[in-house]
Amino acid sequence: MLFSSRPSRASATLASAAAAALLLAGCASGGTTGSTGGGSAAPDAGDPVSGGTLVYASGDAEPDCLDPHVRGNYPQALLAGQFLETLFTKDADGEIVPWLAEGADVSDDGLEVVLTLREGIEFTDGTPLDAAAVWANIDHLKDPDTGSSTGYLAVGKIAEGTVEDARTLRLRLSAPDAALLESFSQPWVAIQSPAGIGRGQEENCAAPIGTGPFQVASWTRQDRVELIRNEDYTPPAEGAGHEGPAYLDGISWRFIPEAATRQSALQSGTVHVIDNPQPDAIAAAEASGALGHLDAPRPGASNRIELNTSKAPFDDPAVREAFVKSVDVDAGVESLFFGTARRSYSPLSSVEPMGHGDPAPFGVDTARAAELLDAAGWDERDAEGYRSKDGQRLSLEFPVSTNQSVPAEQSLFQQLQAAAKEAGFEVKLNLLDLSSWYGALFANDYDLVSAPYTKVGPDVLRILFHSDSTIPAPSGYFANLSQVKDAELDRLLTEAGEEADPTARAALYDQAQAFILAGHYILPLYDQQNHFLHSTSLQGVGATTAVASPVFHDVWIAE
Amino acid sequence: MTSKRTTPVRGRPGAGPGSRRRVVSAALRWLALKLAGAAFVLWAVATLIFVGIRLIPGDPAEAILGGPGSQASAEALAAARAEHGLDLPLTAQYAMQLERLAQGDLGQSYSLRVPVAELLAEQLPGTLLLAALAWALAWLLALGLALWSTLGGRGAALVASGLEIAAAAVPHFWLASLLVLLFSNALAWLPPVSTNTPAGLVLPVTTLALPLAGFLGQVMRESMLTAISSPFALSARARGEREAGVLLRHGLRHAALPGIGLSGWALGSLVSGAVVVETIFARPGLGRTLLGAVTLRDVPLVTGVALASAAAYVVVMAAADLAERIADPRLRAA
Repeated sequence: MLFSSRPSRASATLASAAAAALLLAGCASGGTTGSTGGGSAAPDAGDPVSGGTLVYASGDAEPDCLDPHVRGNYPQALLAGQFLETLFTKDADGEIVPWLAEGADVSDDGLEVVLTLREGIEFTDGTPLDAAAVWANIDHLKDPDTGSSTGYLAVGKIAEGTVEDARTLRLRLSAPDAALLESFSQPWVAIQSPAGIGRGQEENCAAPIGTGPFQVASWTRQDRVELIRNEDYTPPAEGAGHEGPAYLDGISWRFIPEAATRQSALQSGTVHVIDNPQPDAIAAAEASGALGHLDAPRPGASNRIELNTSKAPFDDPAVREAFVKSVDVDAGVESLFFGTARRSYSPLSSVEPMGHGDPAPFGVDTARAAELLDAAGWDERDAEGYRSKDGQRLSLEFPVSTNQSVPAEQSLFQQLQAAAKEAGFEVKLNLLDLSSWYGALFANDYDLVSAPYTKVGPDVLRILFHSDSTIPAPSGYFANLSQVKDAELDRLLTEAGEEADPTARAALYDQAQAFILAGHYILPLYDQQNHFLHSTSLQGVGATTAVASPVFHDVWIAE
Repeated sequence: MTSKRTTPVRGRPGAGPGSRRRVVSAALRWLALKLAGAAFVLWAVATLIFVGIRLIPGDPAEAILGGPGSQASAEALAAARAEHGLDLPLTAQYAMQLERLAQGDLGQSYSLRVPVAELLAEQLPGTLLLAALAWALAWLLALGLALWSTLGGRGAALVASGLEIAAAAVPHFWLASLLVLLFSNALAWLPPVSTNTPAGLVLPVTTLALPLAGFLGQVMRESMLTAISSPFALSARARGEREAGVLLRHGLRHAALPGIGLSGWALGSLVSGAVVVETIFARPGLGRTLLGAVTLRDVPLVTGVALASAAAYVVVMAAADLAERIADPRLRAA
């Protein structure tokens, strides 16, 4: 291949950046999947030059508030990663490392955490990042008036805080929280200037004030957010990218909802970077080398189909196993994603160090599936060829959110539907808008469902599989969509969530994941896809936040 | 108007002193009727939206807190409901909303937390520009096709009618994607992302104009053909008027009439088309605002955009009514 030998220098760049413990979930995986990542840069790009405005085209929904404390979704995180920073972040190995914080000491009983902050960091309004500021942020997240729906979960166990001195914050927890530092690495819990927050929500939503490499200059709704360089910036942790302010003068962040338009804008040079490219465009870019590709799977859960165990037919483990053995996911993923997505066999994303995968429960075996269904009493066939039992058809409701499933994924579901039909399952695929889709879930009107969940760390397993998560939130939302309720699994997840020792914690999560896989509660598909294509004139692409959104501090535009 | 001489209309009211009062009072009556009609349309739209948005699944309080599926706490939901009066009975909410609207207060967007009026003022000009250009281009194309097919004989008529049917049947999203693939990707002549520059407007305006032109062209050609084969055209020819004169003086006027009559419908097509076109060409505007607002169940914003569209409809219908009177002297006699 033309450029299997080419990215040598780029790989070296990647490796050194990785070794430098930059925040780069994306780079790490870019290396492992053989993606060119930031490495598609021309090998002789030379020394970094300052100047120029990067144009970024986002296909995600335009945030309605740029402060990720308010509500809290991925589009907000993508933007906020440029101008807000977090107390902790992730290094290349997926380990949590201090960022704005210098470190954290946890008491033996796990109920007290003392955060130490780095010295001399200022927000772009000139106010200092101190312990009082951090506490003001936690307070802001916990305040119902803020309307946080993501960040407040992350600080849920923090009961009170005491400012010991400018650099020391003592946190008192209501229960031990092994995931606290992982939670602190998420942009939804990023630290912003209390003076900025104090301006009131309307003003702060328009331009939150942070410590990041860029700051918000203006926001024209439905069009763009203009960011300019923070001239006083330098990365708080050593070795994480170059010292000093960003190379770019600024970033023009545009919203282009249509994938074909985004792709066209990138190819015509109107924009430098796009997110959410179509799988065929990624494959074409990889093949031609005309565009750079950053493959940055999101942390947290893998994309998976969940099997609703709360009612027939999936309350019967044999029917779950039969379904899983009837459908060939690999072939669909390969053909529909053009080799850009790798099959997952784990409930966790491949970037989670404590992820545990096992292909064994997911081998296709139609003969075994037929045996299982016959034994379970689904041994009749109706006029249309579907299996039935006591006159009831073996029918599965599968509501699909068109907001959360890309076209390739919807096609994959159609392929699975066809394969399941061969085995005698009727899968009723229902394409729905987001509200109707949640409506179907809240009414327990589903047997199969695919719902992404982004969070840093394996604690996402507790959210998705603990029986507590079958109890709906006030909005009707519940995260445990397979509705598994098992005392042993609950115990493993609770203990893991409170276990301070990483090895013991990993062992507990290992057992929990083995339990989930063996019980056929889920059918893992692939990591939550998170790809970026960029012009080859961009150098130094690769650094990401802990939730795999790119950060452009190190990026520069070559002539 | 030169054509008065040749119209077959007789007995048009003279400009006598007695008739002036009649004209003024008729004009006032016309205005009063239009205003009452407009008020009714706006009330009906506000009511339909109020009811309709509550019939579709989704809780407006969640829209305030990050859209469906938010994991907002009970306290946050309660605070949001209280702030926006969502905890009141529906009748009270309806009364409150009508009262606010009657005072000209469109309220605040749930999701964007900005006054709706401010958002409309921001997004309206872009959409107006797009719609006005598309409407003008559609008329030009439709009239041009009608003229050409009438002059060009059987073959031209067949081609024109085929073009019109194809254009009228093409969905906006398909046409937009095709134009982007052709003119942005393959030929690289025009930017795929629309701006308010001439080059940036070509693709979205064309996308909006073509289906409308196809539809208008069909009715215009029909009407023009009827006109030039009617007795008054024959008499004009007999007076020695040349064929081009007949077409321009009589054909065009008659072709325009059904087009004017369809103005309300054309506006509807432009507004619904704007949702698609603004999304595909990443153009700020009311269409995109509406799409986002509906997805998020942002009641005040949906209501605001719908009212703005309804108001535009009322204005366009009144203007079309006037234009029809000017173009068609028969109506002035009535």
